[in-house]
Amino acid sequence: MSTANAALSSRRQFLASAIACTSAGWLALNAPQVAAAAAHAAHGDGALPPVAGVLTAAEAADVDAICNQIIPGGARPGARAANVVAFIDRALASFFAAQLPAFREGLREFRAGWAQRSAESFAAAGETRQLAYLRTVEETEFFLALRRLTLLGFVASPKYGGNRDKAGWRLLGFDERSVWQPPFGWYDRDYAGFVPYPGTPAAAAAQAGA
Amino acid sequence: MSAQAYKPSERVDFVVVGSGAAGGIMARELARAGHSVVVMEQGPRLTPAQFEHDELKYSQLRGITNSASASPQTFRDDPAKTAQQRPGSNPLTYARVVGGSSVHFTANFWRLRPLDFHERSLLGAIAGTGFADWPIRYEELEPYYTKVEWDVGVSGLAGACPTDPPRSKPYPMPPLPVKSSGVLFERGARKLGLHPYPAPMAINSVPYKGRPGCIHCGFCNGFGCEVMAKSSSVWTMIPEAEATGRCEVRAESYVFRIGMNAKGRATGVHYFDARNAERFQKARAVVVCANGAETPRLLLNSASAAFPQGLANSSGLVGKYLMFNKGGAVIGVFEHELNEYKSVQVTRVLHDFYESDPKRGFYGGGGTTARSAMPMGWALNTPDGVPSWGAGFKDYLAEFNRSMVALAHGTSLALETNRVDLDPELKDAWGIPAIRVTYKDHPDDLAFARWQQDRNVEILEAAGAKKVWKVHVSASTGGVHLLGTCRMGNDPRTSVIDRYHRTHDVRNLFLCDGSSFVSSGRGQPTMTIEALAFRAAEHIARFARAGEI
Repeated sequence: MSTANAALSSRRQFLASAIACTSAGWLALNAPQVAAAAAHAAHGDGALPPVAGVLTAAEAADVDAICNQIIPGGARPGARAANVVAFIDRALASFFAAQLPAFREGLREFRAGWAQRSAESFAAAGETRQLAYLRTVEETEFFLALRRLTLLGFVASPKYGGNRDKAGWRLLGFDERSVWQPPFGWYDRDYAGFVPYPGTPAAAAAQAGA
Repeated sequence: MSAQAYKPSERVDFVVVGSGAAGGIMARELARAGHSVVVMEQGPRLTPAQFEHDELKYSQLRGITNSASASPQTFRDDPAKTAQQRPGSNPLTYARVVGGSSVHFTANFWRLRPLDFHERSLLGAIAGTGFADWPIRYEELEPYYTKVEWDVGVSGLAGACPTDPPRSKPYPMPPLPVKSSGVLFERGARKLGLHPYPAPMAINSVPYKGRPGCIHCGFCNGFGCEVMAKSSSVWTMIPEAEATGRCEVRAESYVFRIGMNAKGRATGVHYFDARNAERFQKARAVVVCANGAETPRLLLNSASAAFPQGLANSSGLVGKYLMFNKGGAVIGVFEHELNEYKSVQVTRVLHDFYESDPKRGFYGGGGTTARSAMPMGWALNTPDGVPSWGAGFKDYLAEFNRSMVALAHGTSLALETNRVDLDPELKDAWGIPAIRVTYKDHPDDLAFARWQQDRNVEILEAAGAKKVWKVHVSASTGGVHLLGTCRMGNDPRTSVIDRYHRTHDVRNLFLCDGSSFVSSGRGQPTMTIEALAFRAAEHIARFARAGEI
């Protein structure tokens, strides 16, 4: 097993145990059956797709570098921090296996094109050079497919290998809790209630009820 | 599993093909009328505990929808072209589980309005289209809309919209609590003199008929409801049909052909059971509620020497006049958090632009829902003017929580060239000819969608949006509202079923689902599909009592 794959594998084990240990203690509902259903829906059965390893360490490094330009890092986590490459590796080995041949061919062409520019790997190059090359390939089917995989891995449930520590969800501001009560957001806090339009049956009903 | 079980060799009164919005109602009503009923459903029967909040599974991996590998379809935008498969996705999407697409729908439950049923008479012909009146009027359907609201369960505020159609009863449940998207949309629209109102939704706002109220988890659109607060057929009509002791719901049973005898009567259905063994269920009558794609496909796949162009297709219109409800989305970003991922998708709707206005220069009408996206939908559907990758794209991702969507639905004109038929080459995993879709939007559909989008830009700007983005309105390459493909009408030359949903050609064969529509309405068709099903079931039971089937 390559170093990258060993890292992915240990990551998977960590995720599996993290999912198993996730508590549903926040669920303060009166109806236990509703609480149980909601808790299950939020966490699923915890089953992980099979261990992958379709990308070599060098390929994984290049893919990771591309992903990290699609959703760059910085003050807020990007694709690398979210371990999107682990999602992609696993996806191509399992539920997106049909995409693997085209992905491999696209990656081969991407790396061949890069090799004409530079002796060092794409992953090892500086940001300016990476961006300059990516702008020349951003319309290719390979880049568009990788972009899509990056987005999916960034926001899919962490059980698929990406979205590490919910980094993707945190960037978006998505909180995965399953039971909410109003107010839901800033603007519905002080909503005074729906005022029916004059002359409508709803206005007449409101008046009769008042 | 149903407590009642019939042998396929046992001749039941009715086989209902499909267990969704229409099939569930048909089963309950016919079983309650005293008939033996077998409901055939291609998909599995899932328990509430089997639904998960997993966007990847439900939106990308076809968790409960028709699979593009086992049940592939092809698409083309021009009848002169060869239709092609799209890798990994089908043009027409529907849920394939007990409960059908009522399991994963958003649950917008608008009624159609009186004008929808006779708009051709109101506006005149539109050249080159199959624009036509329905053979029934709103007034005939009104009692059944009310029945849907009370028997299935709809939350809403009656008479809130100044142009609400007449109704005989209020809603049984109050509207669901408003979300920030609803407040902002209402604020902007009222500033412009428009009339947004609380959305009618087939989701319990309070406990109703033994099911709990919504827990506001946010996973409605595309997901099954794990607490049964959504009024899906599988939690509402199906159990009540089974409670009669006369109805069996047979899951994982794929009907591929309707059996016929020499007298031109349906004798039952050929199907593959859960083990892929071919079987035949005998029945005195067949009711097909398989949706606007699978119903015409089944009729076309039931062609025989006596019916060479497909069953019940003497008009040649089976599969034709496919309509989707064209629409478009506008995204607004605001200063503070909306947290739109919480609760039901829609809490306010707008119907001020329902009527077509000749002054616009094109036909079209519609409605808008103030709604939310979930994270994956947000990431994948980047609007015009936003960088598709890099730092600018990341900034867009981070706006998710301060954003909302004004999603408009509208009219699609009936065109004979827009159709579902059988692909000449492609077969599904069972060896049955696959669906071929031919579809191109009428120019007026696109023009109205863009016009309505501009109105929603104005509303979101009036609401104080910091940024407003339009999602490009492009040519339709598929749909989820599957309408018009076996249209109803009085004239057997220009329609497939009569006003009671009986096929003109086969006396004991009935069709009821989105395929029955004559015009598209303005979106959110399930409410009308269910009202049609209650009405059709009442008449079918009446025919049965009178020995007229």
